[in-house]
Amino acid sequence: MSGADILMTVKALLQPVFQALGLSPTLQTVVYAALSAAVVFNVAAGLTTFLVWMERKVSAHMQSRIGPKRVGPFGLLQTVADAIKLTIKEDVRPAHRDKIPYFLAPIIGFVAAFMGLVVIPFDRGFVVEDLNVGILYVVAITGFSVIGILMAGWSSNNKFSLLGGFRSAAQIVSYEVPLVLSVIPVIMVTGTLSLHHAVEYQAVNGWWFTSLRYAVPMAVAFMVFLTSATAEANRAPFDIPEAESELVAGFHTEYSGVKWAMFFLGEYIAVVVSSCVAVSLFLGGWLAPPGVDALFGMMHLPFLPGYLWFLLKLLVIIYFIMAFRWTFPRLRVDQLMDFGWKVLIPIAVLNILLTGLLVLGA
Amino acid sequence: MNPEELKSSLERDFAGSLASVAVTPQKEVLAVVKAESYVDFCRSLRDRKDYGFGHLSCLTAVDYPAANKITVVCHFWSYEHRHQLTVKLDVDRGQPKAPSLDGLWKSADWFEREVFDLYGVVFEGHPNLRRIMMPDDYKKFPLRKDFTDDGFIVKPN
Amino acid sequence: MTDLLLSQIKLGDESPSGTDEYVVNLGPQHPATHGVLRLVVKLDGESVLETIPVLGYLHRSIEKICENRTFPQGITYTDRVDYASAMTVNLAWSLASERLLAIEAPVRAQWLRMIFTELQRIASHLLWFGAFGGDLGAFTPFLYGLRERERILDLFEMTCGQRLTYNYIRIGGVMIDVLPEFVPKCRAFLDYFEPKIDEYEKLMTYNPIFLERTKGVGIIPAETAVNWGICGPSLRGSGVTCDVRKQTPYLFYDQVKWEEPLEYGADCWSRYKVRMNELRQCVSIIRQSLDRLEPGPVEAKMPPILKAPKDSEVYFRTESSRGEMGIYLVGDGTAKPWKSKFRTASFSNLAILDKITRGWKVADIMAVLGSLDMIVPEVDR
Repeated sequence: MSGADILMTVKALLQPVFQALGLSPTLQTVVYAALSAAVVFNVAAGLTTFLVWMERKVSAHMQSRIGPKRVGPFGLLQTVADAIKLTIKEDVRPAHRDKIPYFLAPIIGFVAAFMGLVVIPFDRGFVVEDLNVGILYVVAITGFSVIGILMAGWSSNNKFSLLGGFRSAAQIVSYEVPLVLSVIPVIMVTGTLSLHHAVEYQAVNGWWFTSLRYAVPMAVAFMVFLTSATAEANRAPFDIPEAESELVAGFHTEYSGVKWAMFFLGEYIAVVVSSCVAVSLFLGGWLAPPGVDALFGMMHLPFLPGYLWFLLKLLVIIYFIMAFRWTFPRLRVDQLMDFGWKVLIPIAVLNILLTGLLVLGA
Repeated sequence: MNPEELKSSLERDFAGSLASVAVTPQKEVLAVVKAESYVDFCRSLRDRKDYGFGHLSCLTAVDYPAANKITVVCHFWSYEHRHQLTVKLDVDRGQPKAPSLDGLWKSADWFEREVFDLYGVVFEGHPNLRRIMMPDDYKKFPLRKDFTDDGFIVKPN
Repeated sequence: MTDLLLSQIKLGDESPSGTDEYVVNLGPQHPATHGVLRLVVKLDGESVLETIPVLGYLHRSIEKICENRTFPQGITYTDRVDYASAMTVNLAWSLASERLLAIEAPVRAQWLRMIFTELQRIASHLLWFGAFGGDLGAFTPFLYGLRERERILDLFEMTCGQRLTYNYIRIGGVMIDVLPEFVPKCRAFLDYFEPKIDEYEKLMTYNPIFLERTKGVGIIPAETAVNWGICGPSLRGSGVTCDVRKQTPYLFYDQVKWEEPLEYGADCWSRYKVRMNELRQCVSIIRQSLDRLEPGPVEAKMPPILKAPKDSEVYFRTESSRGEMGIYLVGDGTAKPWKSKFRTASFSNLAILDKITRGWKVADIMAVLGSLDMIVPEVDR
């Protein structure tokens, strides 16, 4: 059952409900949007639960260990157990904290991360709201989380948290630039900021790596994007803000229980959002890889729905991001800045030039 | 230089500064130096090419309450010549004072702090003579032979 | 007591960047530092202005205790001086006591001592490898290093029943002869382990991020290093030949073919490379020692009570995994030493931390500490 079918069914089911409640069209749109947002939120949260387990298993197998195996089959319920533990944990708060920012910081970090999911196209038409400023919106909203981090660092009344907050702010601001610059080639070729249209462009013109013309610039853009996205999410090798071996836990040292869980989840969702954007812009979104549909047709297998292809590609990208964490040592904070400003930005800018020439030559 | 040669060479060059030089049954050269020539002797040990004692391996002290003295013991090693030398300096146990070797070997810095902390020997000329193992406001000198345990230290409120 | 220390740290009004200076406590409980070490660091933003190590959190007065124990009893305390490399400290005390008491261990015991000391050196370097990676943020080397170390600890457990504090190398020889299956198992381990060293080097040594973090960081020029008393692999990273096993060979180190690895970069990367090369040398030494192992007694005939001659003393230097381990024993005619002193490598190596981290960043303190391979119980005793 493809994504479009599911949407039509849901809409058909909801129509009589709206009629019965006598809602005006605007209100209908609002309720519909709220419902889809709720669904996406829940699916993303569920996916994060799975991803936490996946990270533990991936890291374990890379380190010659096994990972969780007792709680549920293959340890799948481990995250559930962790979540329960975190919710019933005592909320230890430093006495001399700055109360309001301390309370708001995890909320901001959490919300800013989830808001990015609004424009991600999981299947044709299967998007909460296809804003026509899609990519711009995602980048702007994920940059918002730095405010949460700064608030956390400041309000904790702890020098380590402050150091962690500063480092993180500097890092996120530095890597916003190559992040945006790396998606500009895609925008130049597709002519649109909307993620949904970018995938549709690829549906018509084939995936980037199948095109002789744009394969190289898109590959470069993809790598720059992936690196910047890892830095944006404060993941290793760019996890200076949470460098356990130096600052205990950086900006979220003084948070425990649910508040810490919100930071933790926010980080995972940031990874998910960046990976979703990477999949949509560079890997064809919900499209099956070229030729696979024909293969399935020949072998008389049912076609996989678009959202499953999306999920598969998403998991591959996330696996790589996880593998980065457990392979590389950490960059020092000034080396991190150097890398962002002096290496990634020039590469991204040159890439834009190259793409521009190729587009003009078309 | 082997131990015998080192002993003869020291007897020849530093007769005035040393109270005694001997080769122990354990084949080590042991020199007891007079207090007033301690620093100069050590400087010559470091600077003279034929001795070349560039490495201060260990600086410690031994407490002899019966003889009313604390002996500061330095062990020197030369990487070039591969010989070892033990130098001893006796200080009075009531008012233990000795010159500091920190100007010659920076490794003496922490060794002398440790001797000050655990034996109470004051090293004159040391830039930062503070306790190193015990808390800064501790009053006793633990490695002395007449040290008695304080038991629990009750801090004033 | 903290007030005395902190009051001595003057916070200047004009820091290089025009912002305020502040003082931060790294430790004593800290996931990074190798043990209970407290560093009081004066910072200007990220730059380190001054580092003051505060010692004594792990001071157990081992030297004073050993004044009240007989020479053989002292060996149990030597394990605790450096628990990551206990065999080497056992060996140092045993050799020092043997020289003082004029005892000679039998040949088989000497070879066994060599084998175990070198196995211990491998185990200690593996632990260091893991901890160093962890300090820099790479979590995986820790598990690889410990996985190999487990096999060595299995060999130790098979021989003396202990995995960390062995009390195996005794005065006059070793505690007990090895089981017959020890030699083939040891050889099997060496065959398994040698290619692993190359694997670890592939993971870390030329990794661009690792190079960025360690190349050019924490440079200690050779003369400064010797003057400050740096020893062991840290000094060999600055290009100075200083291995005690080569300079004053004890046991049979002069009868096996091995090299002293040297690097000339004097930075963290050089010190890292020296230790990785030492692993290869250890494997070679153990292989040769296993070949030369002949049957025989493992303990010398000694009087039941070992008394040191009056007014005797010995200062015996050995090469432990971290550097020069010197034991100073003073005998007074009784069965207990009048004075014992452990000259440990970590104590001297730590003193230079302040000098070489000034002007660098907080992250570099961790890199330098890791590259100096410090174990805090050695510092405090």
